[in-house]
Formats: sequence, C-alpha cells, structure tokens
Amino acid sequence: MAEISFPLPDLGEGLIEATVLEWLVAPGDQVERNQPLVEVETTKSAVELPSPQAGKVVRIHGGPGDKINVGEPLIVFEVPDNTAGIVGTVPKEEAPKRRVRLSAVLDED
Amino acid sequence: MSNSILEGALIVESPAATTVMSMQQALNRALDEVLAENPKTLIFGEDCGRLGGVFRITDGLQAKHGEQRVFDTPLAESGILGMSVGLAMAGFHPIPEVQFDGFAYPAINQIVCQIARMNYRSRGTLPMPITLRVPSFGGIRAPEHHGESLEALFAHVPGLKVVSPSNPHEAYHLLKYAATRPDPVIFMEPKSRYWQKGEVDLARHDAAGGSPTGAKVMREGRHLTLVAWGAMVARCLQVAELAAEDGIDIEVLDLRWLKPIDAAALAASVRKTRRAVVVHEAPLTSGLGAEVAQLITQSCFDTLRAPVERVTGFDVPYPSGDLEDEYIPNIDRILFGIQRVLEYKRG
Repeated sequence: MAEISFPLPDLGEGLIEATVLEWLVAPGDQVERNQPLVEVETTKSAVELPSPQAGKVVRIHGGPGDKINVGEPLIVFEVPDNTAGIVGTVPKEEAPKRRVRLSAVLDED
Repeated sequence: MSNSILEGALIVESPAATTVMSMQQALNRALDEVLAENPKTLIFGEDCGRLGGVFRITDGLQAKHGEQRVFDTPLAESGILGMSVGLAMAGFHPIPEVQFDGFAYPAINQIVCQIARMNYRSRGTLPMPITLRVPSFGGIRAPEHHGESLEALFAHVPGLKVVSPSNPHEAYHLLKYAATRPDPVIFMEPKSRYWQKGEVDLARHDAAGGSPTGAKVMREGRHLTLVAWGAMVARCLQVAELAAEDGIDIEVLDLRWLKPIDAAALAASVRKTRRAVVVHEAPLTSGLGAEVAQLITQSCFDTLRAPVERVTGFDVPYPSGDLEDEYIPNIDRILFGIQRVLEYKRG
C-alpha cells in the first residue's frame, strides 16, 4: 500500500487559504474519484472539493472552522501499490450486460 | 485420443506449471528476465527508473539492475526514440517506453524515418533491435492522448513489426519474444487489462505446433469468427459466451501480431465458420479491420456467407473518459454486428 497526500489547491486566483466548513468523508472511508470530500470557504465562496482520485481515506487535516493554507496537506489517501501514480482509473471487472439477443436460422451444410 | 488401448502408450505432458499474475506483473517479470539474460538490454523512458513507471511495469528494475541499465529520461519522446537509434547502432538492445499512446506522435519522425529504415538503408549492417513499449488503447477514464489506438499507423510503416498481447500469459511470452528480435517491434500494451489476473505458464507459450508470430484461437466455434487484439479479445470472449446462450457458436481469434498479420490463421478459421466480424477500438476508416476484412475476403470469398463486418470506434478524436463507454465497442454493438452477419441474405 502507498500513501498519497493531496494538498489544498488554490481555489481561486491567488487565494492563500481556506476554512474548513464540513468534512463529507472520514478516515477509513473508501472514496471514488470526483466524490465530494469537504466543503471549504474562501474569501470568495464556499465550495465542495471533489476527490482527485479513488482510494481509502487515511487522514484528514483540520476540523470545522480551521484555516488551511494553500499547499498544505488536506487529505491523505491509501492506494494499492499497483495503482499508485496512475493516470486514470483502474477499470472494474463487471459481469457482462446485454440487451441484444441473436436470432438466426443456420444452415449446417 | 480417446482410444483406451493407446492411452497407456501416450506421453502425457506434465501439468503446466502455471502462476496466477496480473499483466503488470507478467510484463515486469519478462523485463526482469530479459535484463538478466541479455547484458545489452537497456530500459528507459519517462518515470521508468526511480518511480518504476506510471503503471508499475518497470517497478524495482532500477534497484535490481542499476541506474546504468534502467533509467529515467527527460519528458521528450523524440529524444527517447532518437537515443534508441544511437544505442542500437552501438550494439545495445533498447526497450524504450512511450508513457502513453498519444505521446508517440512527437517521436513519429524517429520511429518512421530512422528506426524503421536503418536496417534497409544500411543494407543490413545497422539492425535496430528495439522493442518500443506503448501503453495503448482506452478504457481507464484518462485525459486526452491517453486512450488512442495507433496500430494502423505503425502497421503501415515498412520495417516495423507490431504486436499486442491480450492477457498476462501472452504479455509475458510476447514481450520476451519481441525483445530477442533483430527488428524493431512496437509492443502495444492494453492498459485497461493491466490489472486483471490470469494464469501464466512460464515454461511454454503456445501448444505444440503454435508459432509465436502467429494468431491464436482463444475459443473454438463453428458459426462465426470474431477477430480481435489487445483489450478487445477479453470482450469478444464475453460476447462468445453470451452468444452461446442464443445457440450461436463463436470462435475468437486473437490476432496478436498486427504486422505482419497471420493471414493463414484467418483463412483457416473463416473457412470453417464462413462468417467473420472484426472488432477494434481504433476509428473505422482505414483501421486495421479493413486489412483483416480484405485478407479474409481474399482467402474465403467463395465460402463466406456474408460480407465481413467491422465493429469499431468512431471516426472522431478519442473522447474524454466520460464518453469512452460510448466510443469503445461494447457487448451490444458487437452482438449487433454478429446479428447483421447472421441475417445477411444473398441477392
């Protein structure tokens, strides 16, 4: 297992910090890419931050009301070694689904 | 051989010593062994060294074989492939990596104008034993330039060989084979299949009589041949199972080599089934499906029950991840293609 830290990004043009309003995930949660992680407030607006990746939440930084500087750790994920650093998403193995049925009268000559 | 009298005399092969591993692990193992077996082998590319590759294919190889043989390059594909030309001229056997299919374009000049021609240009005095690994095709929800299918582009260039494995067993053996070739090989790894595990028989590639340069029947059938390569082979095997529920017995032929194509295997399969559908992720127009359809028509014209169908991507730039399920041939589109062939009436 590898840990990947996601720092608070610059949410506007030149913002330096944001205040945590509410965490939407907790340590131990398995999150998907683009799943909302946390609601934060900046001097411009309150926004939900989507997850940059899938993984298990290991740590979150800051509780409601705490200020976090841009570039400081916001959340740490745990991902399997074989997916660390990947661009994109590991495809899920799903049972094949179909709607189309085949019909044919086959001559067996 | 079901004749009980002969059974005692038959030489029964010992059970295959298979190992279950993912395609990532199979490729990693193959590269590890090639490095150990051939001191001229060098592996390099963006993030191939310290990180072990963005798909972990070269994981641990630098620590084991040293920074002189497994190393990182600048983010410059023309440089990676240009350097490969010089190294091959100097007697090395480079295995460079282009991190994603869409980043092979900046190196097209080095691939087409140098690597593919140097042996010809030098009257055989400067062979290019280069195996270019390209994580290829779509299916992982990645951004632009990370989901493209370049096989037709490479197959059109004289001097290049092109191959794509469909499962961990094929990946291990085809990469080991490609690395021993005196000619440049474009090795297209189906990135959406990197993580699926499968049985690998490390000791033997194909059943007796099989050729590592040939196509491979992955499922035998009587009514129709599905021709595919790379990630589409697994999907076609799923389709074949579903078609069996409807009483249609489908043969799945994994082409494996996309240049040169095993025309004899296509002919043998379709002479038996008399119907064929070719499936690929690449766009339709001038895709490799057209070449396959022509080879089948050439050899099976009088036995074909219907024109060869193609089920492919669309003639558009590869879409963003949210749309790729609409772009890549899915089970229903392949079944529709099969149905069109089954219901075709002459005249």
